[in-house]
Amino acid sequence: MMNKNKSRQRFAVEAMGTVAVTAAIAGLAAVISEFQSIQITSWAIYGLLALSLVLVWGHAGIFSFGQGAFFGIGGYAYGVAAINLIGATSETFSAVVIAVAVAAIAAAFLGYFMFYGKVGDVYVGIITLATTLVLFTFMSSTAGPQYHIGEALLGGYNGMTGVPPLSYGTPGEESNAFSPGALLVFTATLAGLVTLGIYGLLRGSFGRVLAGLRENELRTQLLGYDIRFRKLVVFAIGGAIAGLAGALYAAWAMFISPGVFGLQQAALVVIWVLVGGRTSVAGAFVGVVLVDGLASFLGGSGGNATPIILGAVLIGVVLLLPQGLVPAIQAGVGRLFKETKEDKVTAAAETVTEESSRYAGLPVPAGREGGVLEVVDLHKRFGGVTAVEKVTLSFTEKGVHCLIGPNGAGKSTFFNLLVGRYWPTAGTVMFAGKPITRAEAHERVRRGLGIKLQVASIFTGLTTFENVWLAAFGKLHDSAAATGRANKILDWLGLTDRARHQAGALSHGQKQWLEMGMVLASEPSVILLDEPTAGMTREETLLTAELIKELGKSVNVIVVEHDMEFVRHLDVPVTVFHQGNVFAQGSLDELRQDERILDIYLGRGGKAVA
Amino acid sequence: MDWSQFDWLINLALSMQLSIAVLVIVSIGLAVVFGMMGIINLAHGEFLMLGAYATLACVRAGINLWLSMGIAAFVVGIFGLVVEQLLIRHLYGRLADSMLATWGLSLIMAQVMVLIFGPSTQGIATPLGSINIGAYSVSGYSFVLIAAAVVLLAIVYWVFTRTPYGVMARAAMQMPGMAAAVGINPKLINAGTFAFGAALAGVGGALLAPLVGVMPSMGQAYIARAFMTVIVGGPGVISGTASSAVLLGGMENVVSYLSTPFFGQGALLVLAIVLLRVLPTGISGRWQRQL
Amino acid sequence: MSRKFMKGALAALLMAASLGAAAADKKPIVVGSILDETGPLNIYGTAMVDATKLAIKQINENGGVLGRQLKLVSYDAQSDNAKYTLYANQLSLKDKAVVIMGGITSASREAVRPVINRNKTLYFYNEQYEGGVCDKNVFATGIVPSQQVAPTVAWAMKNLGKKFYILAADYNYGHISTDWVKKYVAQAAGQVVGSEFIPLDVAEFSSVITKLQEAKPDVVFSLLVGGNHIAFYRQFVASGLRDKMKIVSATFGLGNEQVVLAPEESKDIVAVYPYFQEIDTPANKQFVAMWHKEFGKDYAYITDSAVTVWNGWHLWANAVGKAGSTGREKVIKALESGISFDGPSGTVTIDGPSHHVYQNTHFARANDKHGFTVLGGEKNVPPAFEKKMCDLIKKPNQHTQFLPETK
Repeated sequence: MMNKNKSRQRFAVEAMGTVAVTAAIAGLAAVISEFQSIQITSWAIYGLLALSLVLVWGHAGIFSFGQGAFFGIGGYAYGVAAINLIGATSETFSAVVIAVAVAAIAAAFLGYFMFYGKVGDVYVGIITLATTLVLFTFMSSTAGPQYHIGEALLGGYNGMTGVPPLSYGTPGEESNAFSPGALLVFTATLAGLVTLGIYGLLRGSFGRVLAGLRENELRTQLLGYDIRFRKLVVFAIGGAIAGLAGALYAAWAMFISPGVFGLQQAALVVIWVLVGGRTSVAGAFVGVVLVDGLASFLGGSGGNATPIILGAVLIGVVLLLPQGLVPAIQAGVGRLFKETKEDKVTAAAETVTEESSRYAGLPVPAGREGGVLEVVDLHKRFGGVTAVEKVTLSFTEKGVHCLIGPNGAGKSTFFNLLVGRYWPTAGTVMFAGKPITRAEAHERVRRGLGIKLQVASIFTGLTTFENVWLAAFGKLHDSAAATGRANKILDWLGLTDRARHQAGALSHGQKQWLEMGMVLASEPSVILLDEPTAGMTREETLLTAELIKELGKSVNVIVVEHDMEFVRHLDVPVTVFHQGNVFAQGSLDELRQDERILDIYLGRGGKAVA
Repeated sequence: MDWSQFDWLINLALSMQLSIAVLVIVSIGLAVVFGMMGIINLAHGEFLMLGAYATLACVRAGINLWLSMGIAAFVVGIFGLVVEQLLIRHLYGRLADSMLATWGLSLIMAQVMVLIFGPSTQGIATPLGSINIGAYSVSGYSFVLIAAAVVLLAIVYWVFTRTPYGVMARAAMQMPGMAAAVGINPKLINAGTFAFGAALAGVGGALLAPLVGVMPSMGQAYIARAFMTVIVGGPGVISGTASSAVLLGGMENVVSYLSTPFFGQGALLVLAIVLLRVLPTGISGRWQRQL
Repeated sequence: MSRKFMKGALAALLMAASLGAAAADKKPIVVGSILDETGPLNIYGTAMVDATKLAIKQINENGGVLGRQLKLVSYDAQSDNAKYTLYANQLSLKDKAVVIMGGITSASREAVRPVINRNKTLYFYNEQYEGGVCDKNVFATGIVPSQQVAPTVAWAMKNLGKKFYILAADYNYGHISTDWVKKYVAQAAGQVVGSEFIPLDVAEFSSVITKLQEAKPDVVFSLLVGGNHIAFYRQFVASGLRDKMKIVSATFGLGNEQVVLAPEESKDIVAVYPYFQEIDTPANKQFVAMWHKEFGKDYAYITDSAVTVWNGWHLWANAVGKAGSTGREKVIKALESGISFDGPSGTVTIDGPSHHVYQNTHFARANDKHGFTVLGGEKNVPPAFEKKMCDLIKKPNQHTQFLPETK
């Protein structure tokens, strides 16, 4: 597909750029002075550290204040391994490998602790920061000679001394330390390789899932992705890269001290990345060169205004270039070349009313596996308030089913118990004969539940195609097959002409359909929809009813709805909720004969029937 | 229980309350700004420092210490207002950017103080002398700090529940659109809230001034701790700050007493990590209360 | 104050420029300095930077070294160890400085050491520290525990009592010095009833105060460091402990504690250093006058660290004069021959084998004028531990740091 080719093209450009820059720096090493080599090496090292945050934060949305921790762990691990091994092996590459492994394991450990504990956004930042500071406190007090690992003294606050530089050699012979120039070539090459690897990762299917994760975590999970695991993997990779940077740093400085775990270092990494551009791989290196270069220059110029200038630069970047430097430059250059080839975004939904049988047949073999959703004695209390009380319900294998009730009747809570956003106080949710009461949302999805929440939950920053592709890939785990399915679904929804547009630019109704298409892409047996027509125009509502009816032919669709007009149009069995209980069941016509229901809606509830 | 054990217990309880009070004092301003506005102010430590220097300058000018503390609150509050107008108002809803910009601000503030007052530490003598409790003696100023922590919490509670501004601020926080619809000017409210948080930081710094050394870099000693207290506390400004200060401060003090301050500090950080793991949105995150 | 400072610096610059023009036929000798002028460590760094500038200026005014002027290249490490690595490289590789002086914390020294050893550059570390560094290219001119702790313990035993409680900053200096205090107290048949390590960012001492009240020592031996720890002295007095026990310290005053604290808070605290601004000798009076002329009369306090820097530069200049060359090996040889310099605190002499110094130490008690009253002192105290462990003349290839034996 075109989309794929485009991303391949981009990757090719990025790869060539990386190779060219790396080669240029490596070539430069031959001409520049020793000192310049040393300085550029430090930038490459810090660039790797910043890159780890670009991956973790810019691309996976995990705000880690702790990349400095993995950097330090890598540095100390290199020091310990190199001091102990160099006597036997006469080289320190093995120590670099060990350092990377140790940092990756540490990151995986911390990541498991956080992501499987569902620790949220800002709180991840704080836990990683606290971890960094714990390491600072701990390493600072390992001063005595009793704190050693093998022959390596940890050295407390003063730091670990006698760390061997990067060396090569054969066991039994003298080891040879890298010259500053050689170290630059080696570091630049490693940085280039890692950069290539990251570009590759981001342009592949894993990168798309990451983009989804960053854009909309809940939606990603509702497409059946185990977001905890993905975050863990990214975090561990980020830790490994930071650890590599730390190992290179320790080899570069021949020294490492707990200062790397300080608040200052932790904040610096974030600053580099923000200056360069949060999502920009190249920006990681640019940010380092600018900020560190400026600080080094000011430190040599003898003035004592260094912090003031640095502070002013940071504030300037935030206010004037909130995207960061590299994305701002890219946008500027892009504007120069593209000559206003504007993608006119026609946000209206004029092309909606076509032949009403447009949804005939599903584009996806949904409902193949079947299975009935049932709940037994479901209870949910919030503090002292009972929202759902002893509900027992069984749905059918196919067909549409509506849940209605006035505000506060408990139908939304009930819906959230079905999708797994809440866990019930008591009772069981069963699907296909198996309990899923406390299953994570993505597990429910994998078992055959399709979930669409009330507010359109799509990846607004991705294209319409990418949205559906992510959904299909979550089920199929095959990039080509996912592309095929995504196109079929877009066609079915009538959104093909919107495929390359950002999903955020779609009309309100189109967003809702897009999300239903995404739900459909995972071949669900049951589809749960929460107020799918909220905010739609009349035409859009009618079309949505068509769509849902078509879905009902193959799968069980459970709709929570407010809009009676829409429910009437669907003409399906209805369950009325009242005060946390199932109040009545039947067709809408039957229920309309029931005085009590009119009471609920009109008499006491006071809510109009719409 | 004999008398010697009793005074030991009182002394220990007092020292624990003091640790808790210091945490409340250094973090309440940050909590207001974070809880009410969703801005993480990394220059909070420097706001404390500014409060301490303002107090110092007033005392040097011959003004009474307690009055100086009031002036410090006012000065830092005004400074907060200026910062909000020039910087913070552009950063609402941009959490990371707000952290970066306020970090830059903190660098500038610390160095400007160095240029004005010189780098070395200065200070104000601790007032009020000491009080004997059995075999122990306790600084009289400790009681001031403990009382001040309670009073600050009470003031914040009063401001946010009993004043028109407070009610509007809470409304604006919960539903910005709705608040605007009923005629609340969110810009004004935000400016007020930030200035209020800054003034609280100013009082905090003023209260610390007679306890510790006053130096341009003193903010850094508190920022991580204040940050931790606020985040562990969660969105409830008063309930969250108070409960996390009790847990973290109490833990640090008891562990410091039983072993060493090193383990005390470690225990604080580890407890913070564990609490966030167990209560991912902070202590007050699950409560239905706003404050 | 800052304006005066700028003026002074400007004047120094102009003078250096005019002198440089006079000696234009001989190229100036490049020397380097790295200190923390900004960031948290500038509490110590500022006075040391001033001392560096004044020392270079004075040497140049007196005709320079080997008839050539000195050209100082100085860097601000911004309290960041990585910058020490970078600037040390820059000084030796790019600026070609013949000697590098600087470093405040031991960590910064350890960041510089591998660099200057690789680049074969002479390095002076001019600051009090925990002792034991043994490295051919490194000279340490600051006071070390064996010169400081032993006399302090002896004085306290005689004047205050036998029960000691040690409070130390929780890092290498504090740990190693604590071992020394324990050792000397045991030798003097005293008793250590407790010891406590305080992390550097702790400023709240209520649990420590409680423990002191329980242990009831006669003497609190303070090895506390940095601005946060100043809070201890204040909280100690505020809790009324001063009447129950006395404080002696090997660190009080380095961060201008006596200036920061109110007189009633610092009263009675006894400290031991080579240098106090109040030392009553003609040499020191002249030095203080010169300092005040340069930086203004209201200069807070000339610290021991600043004088150590001053001594370092002059020791090096004397050694170059003797060697007749700025070559590293020749200068080291001259230094090892026992170069000495008559500084503000008295004569300072390099101990050849250990690369440390013999120097006078003084006892002083904080007084009610934000200064010290000198009580007495000892002359020409050797760096005993370093002399015992380290002989760089016999074994020149050592690059290590010796630590005291722990039981």
